[in-house]
Amino acid sequence: MPAIEVERQILPILGSPNQGARFYNPDLPSSEPFVPGHRTCAGCGPSIQYRMTSKAAGDNTILVGPTGCMYVANSSYLCTPYNVPWAHTQIGSAGSFTAGVAAAYEAMIRKGKWKGAFPNIICEAGDGSASDIGLASISGALYRNHDCLIICYDNEQYANTGIQASSRTPYGGMTTFSPPGPMVPEAKTLFPKDLARMMAAGHPHCYVATASVGYPIDLMNKVRKGLNHKGAAYLMIYTPCQKGFVYETPRSIDLGRLVVECGLYPIWEWNPEKREYDYSFRPQNMRPVSEYLKLQGRFGHLHAEHIAKLQTFANQQWKMMGIELPEALIQAADAKNLVNMATASAAEAVAQTL
Amino acid sequence: MATATEVKKRTVRINGCVASAQAAKYADVDVIAAYPIRPYTATMMALAQMVANGELDAEYIVADSEHSQLSISHGASSSGARVFTGSSGVGVQFAYELYSPISGSRMPVQMMIADRTLDPPGDFGSEHTDALSTRDMGWLMGWACDAQEAFDNHLMAYRIGEDPRVLLPQMVCQDGFFVSHITSDVELPDSGQVKEFLPPYKHPYPLDPRHPVSHGPQIMPEQGPPLQLERARAMEGAVAVIEEVHDEFAKIFGRRYDPWVEEYMTDDADVVFFLQGGHAVTARFAIKHMRDNGLKVGMVRLRTIRPYPTDRVNEVLSKFKVVGVIETNMGLGSVSSGGVLYGEVCAALYESQHKPLVLSFMAGMGGEAIVLDEFYWMAKKMTEAQKRGKIEKRTHWVGFEE
Amino acid sequence: MSTKGTKIPERLMIPFAGITPAPTQNGQDLFPTGNWRSIRPVYRDKLPPCNNACGTNEKIQGYLDLVKRGKYLDAYALIKEDMPFPSVTGRVCYHPCEQACNRGKYDEAISIRAVERFLGDLGQALTRDVVKPGAPNGKKVAVVGSGPAGHSAAYQLARLGYKVTILEKSPKAGGLNRGGIPDWVLPQNVLDREIERLVELGITIKTNVEVGKDVSWDDLKKNYDAVVLAVGLTEPNSARAEGENKQGVLFGLPFLRDIGMGTSKVKVGARVAVIGGGNTAIDCAREALRQGAVEVTMITVEAHPQEMPASPEDLHDMKEEGVELMHGKAMTAVLGDGKVKALQLHPAKFSGAINASPINIDREAPAERFAVDNVIIAVGQHASLAWLPQEFKTERGTIKIDRFGRLGDTNFFAAGDIVQLGAGQPLMVVNAVGDGKRVAFNLDKVMRGVTLEPRTIPVDVIFDLNRMNMTYFPHFPRVQQTLLPPKSRRKTQQEVIQAFTEEQAVEEAGRCFSCGTCNACDNCYLVCPEPCIVRDVRSNGLYKILVDYCKGCRVCIEECPTGCLEGVPELDFDTGVVRMDTAFAVSPGLHGRQAEELRNLGDRAPKNI
Repeated sequence: MPAIEVERQILPILGSPNQGARFYNPDLPSSEPFVPGHRTCAGCGPSIQYRMTSKAAGDNTILVGPTGCMYVANSSYLCTPYNVPWAHTQIGSAGSFTAGVAAAYEAMIRKGKWKGAFPNIICEAGDGSASDIGLASISGALYRNHDCLIICYDNEQYANTGIQASSRTPYGGMTTFSPPGPMVPEAKTLFPKDLARMMAAGHPHCYVATASVGYPIDLMNKVRKGLNHKGAAYLMIYTPCQKGFVYETPRSIDLGRLVVECGLYPIWEWNPEKREYDYSFRPQNMRPVSEYLKLQGRFGHLHAEHIAKLQTFANQQWKMMGIELPEALIQAADAKNLVNMATASAAEAVAQTL
Repeated sequence: MATATEVKKRTVRINGCVASAQAAKYADVDVIAAYPIRPYTATMMALAQMVANGELDAEYIVADSEHSQLSISHGASSSGARVFTGSSGVGVQFAYELYSPISGSRMPVQMMIADRTLDPPGDFGSEHTDALSTRDMGWLMGWACDAQEAFDNHLMAYRIGEDPRVLLPQMVCQDGFFVSHITSDVELPDSGQVKEFLPPYKHPYPLDPRHPVSHGPQIMPEQGPPLQLERARAMEGAVAVIEEVHDEFAKIFGRRYDPWVEEYMTDDADVVFFLQGGHAVTARFAIKHMRDNGLKVGMVRLRTIRPYPTDRVNEVLSKFKVVGVIETNMGLGSVSSGGVLYGEVCAALYESQHKPLVLSFMAGMGGEAIVLDEFYWMAKKMTEAQKRGKIEKRTHWVGFEE
Repeated sequence: MSTKGTKIPERLMIPFAGITPAPTQNGQDLFPTGNWRSIRPVYRDKLPPCNNACGTNEKIQGYLDLVKRGKYLDAYALIKEDMPFPSVTGRVCYHPCEQACNRGKYDEAISIRAVERFLGDLGQALTRDVVKPGAPNGKKVAVVGSGPAGHSAAYQLARLGYKVTILEKSPKAGGLNRGGIPDWVLPQNVLDREIERLVELGITIKTNVEVGKDVSWDDLKKNYDAVVLAVGLTEPNSARAEGENKQGVLFGLPFLRDIGMGTSKVKVGARVAVIGGGNTAIDCAREALRQGAVEVTMITVEAHPQEMPASPEDLHDMKEEGVELMHGKAMTAVLGDGKVKALQLHPAKFSGAINASPINIDREAPAERFAVDNVIIAVGQHASLAWLPQEFKTERGTIKIDRFGRLGDTNFFAAGDIVQLGAGQPLMVVNAVGDGKRVAFNLDKVMRGVTLEPRTIPVDVIFDLNRMNMTYFPHFPRVQQTLLPPKSRRKTQQEVIQAFTEEQAVEEAGRCFSCGTCNACDNCYLVCPEPCIVRDVRSNGLYKILVDYCKGCRVCIEECPTGCLEGVPELDFDTGVVRMDTAFAVSPGLHGRQAEELRNLGDRAPKNI
């Protein structure tokens, strides 16, 4: 039997929400694969991301959910908020289960067992799955170049299990596995795994990008670019966790912008054709990291020297993107110019969020 | 007009691994998840070549681990594809997490296992411990004793597992080396026969964007037991389907297997070997020889261990005076302090009016062949027990005792 | 058979392998998470400061938003609700809206007037106006005066269905719009077109009819069901200097009016002085240049330009054209032998804080002699109200009205400068228009027998930028209107300020924050984590919050760029919230229903992909 050619979907790229001075989001797709009535926390960053992602993908989509918040809190008690097919898989199976779905559709369409355009196959892995236990399976899926999009919704911790450190937890981030104490005043001593670059470096044929809920249209367009890319794509999305970061719920999107403006979450794309990074995304402002840290209870214990370390880290990120540092940020990397978080104003901020 | 005479069958000389690969080809599988580990690797090697040659149109995926192999299979099966995967030894163990989720989501994934001893010591001879350790995970499971049976078991397992009354994954096992690597004549059927026997796979609720469903949502504790009960019902419901399919198979292919046990020279036997898999071939020779010498010995070979044919085992073994369970697996600290099969046999016999004596033999361990002398030794232990009317000890480590 | 005889109770009936059908409605009914909420987001449009500051409360944010979206005709229709002649105010308005514009605190105010002019000119070009007369109610109203207030009142009354007759004492309708504004600010044909629009609305315009001369108070009372008096201030004020009757002494408004009406016989000399510091004085000074003057000097009592009651742009443009300013001086006499030769000036200042307070002239100081060929006195106007019954006159020389613009309990109403003089509001076109509009509506209420009551709904004007999310508004410079070069324009009657192109209008409208008002930017819809903000059509104010699910995270409120969304404590609501006891209950039959759905899944119409 002659093989049937597989038809791929091409999703249009959305226009910019900034039309000159005017802020006006482009017309968004009407499909709503993710509906309310799920038990994610109020203001949940991953949930915001999930909604944007699924909306960008549309109805001809299959979602794969490795164990994590987006499994436990969403698909609860035999109810489901997913209006497209969704399947739970094991936390370490993110890439492999997704690969199985993609391979099944390749074969079934080719062999005439399923008719229609190749569905968008999206895996929504938390950073615990993506950076730790499921890393190999995701790497495998990317390496083998299945036509799928693997998303790491990065809330920088194992949140579903009650806030434990993952290899994406930032330096200084307090979790139940990295609490601060007299011997470890900064709480988490390690800097996070540079997961997205790792994926780009190791799988240069894949579309790899980072995004943040602070820039929804950019995020949705990256989802679409990833899906349009024939082959595997990887997207790492900053999604604040109100429970673990300890901040006021309305700040979810705001943190998504601040983390980028503070240089702690560089936004870029890896262009698989040109085999180069695209650093053209520019946030509106560049800010010192303390503006991001002070909104979150998980950094409330930091001393000036720790903040300086984080600023140094951020400055390195800016440099990696080829962006010249303003003097203020260089100054901010010197502990002498900083105060401890546990000052009155910082304590107040933390108290408020608590 | 298609008649039986026009059926193009052919007989080839292949080993068990290749027979399994051939079965996957005849089943027209859609997705194959491979990862190398001896001895099952040869199956995947054969399949890789078939895909490369264009003999089989399937997605051949070289996974990054056995865990991934099973996850890939899970995902592909959930999407509606017929899936083939396999492993051996520690590879089977590495994928352990997935066995319950796959059977729990009722995905008829098929896994070929060519047994291998678990580490230590990195030996790759056959021991059934790898597969048997997963025996209660909701997978249909049984052993073939030769390449032909392996081929046939694969086709039957697909038909049983994919039956809408069952929908369970299957482990189709064969001994590493003894079956997997020894060539024998295998009759390959006509593809028309296979088409007639094995309808296309159709899961009732696959991951299909046209009919969206959620697989595996999280549940409340009280919702767990009904799910488990349903799985248990499916496993028990498989019994009837297994018998039906074996009949159907015999009709189409002309080879009839008892779905549960093969009885060899048991008609007037006093003592029988109870075993699974490839050692049965040697056992038959040994039994023939001992029969020539007037010993009333026979063999009962278990073909399907999950679902376990309790009543059938009871009925068959109750006829004998002594049953010698050849374990070929490890159950350290188990009922018999030897293997795990002993417990299964004894439990089946517990309610019997006529209880035979049961011995457990730790033989064929580490993939060593059970040689004729060892069968004679075991038969001697059994006849001694018969004479004595009671057992000397439950478990014998064959080759380490006088 | 272990499972023989087992039975799963109905409340635990589970779909096959736990496979759950997709939700078929807007949300799952098992988790009405709305009961987590303590604060509910609500859409509440505030009043943007521009709308608030506008003399006639034009829906400025509204039409700017429509212009942004390219809906010019809708924008024009919206502006026409409050403003009969945007083409005129788009040119002449002193734009208090721009002073109030929140963007002014951020970078530069929106060039609202220029957009208004763009829309006004668009309206001018229409063969048929978008505005239609109301269904005739059989009532006749006379509007005395066709200036801004009269025009506005007549326009609104015609829209309300009245048979309106405008009585105008001049040969041409337009009042101050025609007589007080030079051609190079407002070309005559623009105004003519707006007058035509009134006629198209069925309004009768009777020119050369002067109240007190051609018609009397009693005539009006007898012949009309109601009357709006918008007679304006017609008589120029004196500067109280000696010799104002000398030849060559001109008065501001008559000077401009005669040129405007085409009846001017004046030829100005080379050196002209203008007395006064208001907008009329500026117009006179610039008009003098165009009438042939070489040196024009403006003499003001105000000590500084910024104290002058004139629009800064006009002042700037005037100086650019070469008019000199002389501050802190009052003219005490016009010197010359029957004809003006020079002015006598003394230092002077206002006695009070405002420009209308009495002037203190320092007559002890040595007099200054300032040689001129003409002097134009532009120090305000007053009314001529001889025909008005005494009881309706105020001591300021204006018409006495109640807070609704009504003269006692008569059906006479008054609007415009004739009532606003000295009332604190600048005597500007847009304020007169607003006055005319409000009086028209009040008149209508009286005609319909509705009691007039002051407005009691509190207005929430959004002044504080912190109530909006400024992250969404990068700094962008104001789009500038082009001007004719000063050298060439000072000799011609061509319009000095050039109109916006379509692109410019859209670009400038795009700078509008839409303060406190939904502009359908979709941001709330996009950022909701649930998502429980829904809309069928993307349009202002058509967003709905599914309160059964909204957890009250307030992300939408925080991310609302305009500050339209706000949080209201949930205790203020008593409906719509599902109680906690249903939140986690596995209700009997729910899974049965799902199982049923699952069984019928194959029969369900496939989703349209």
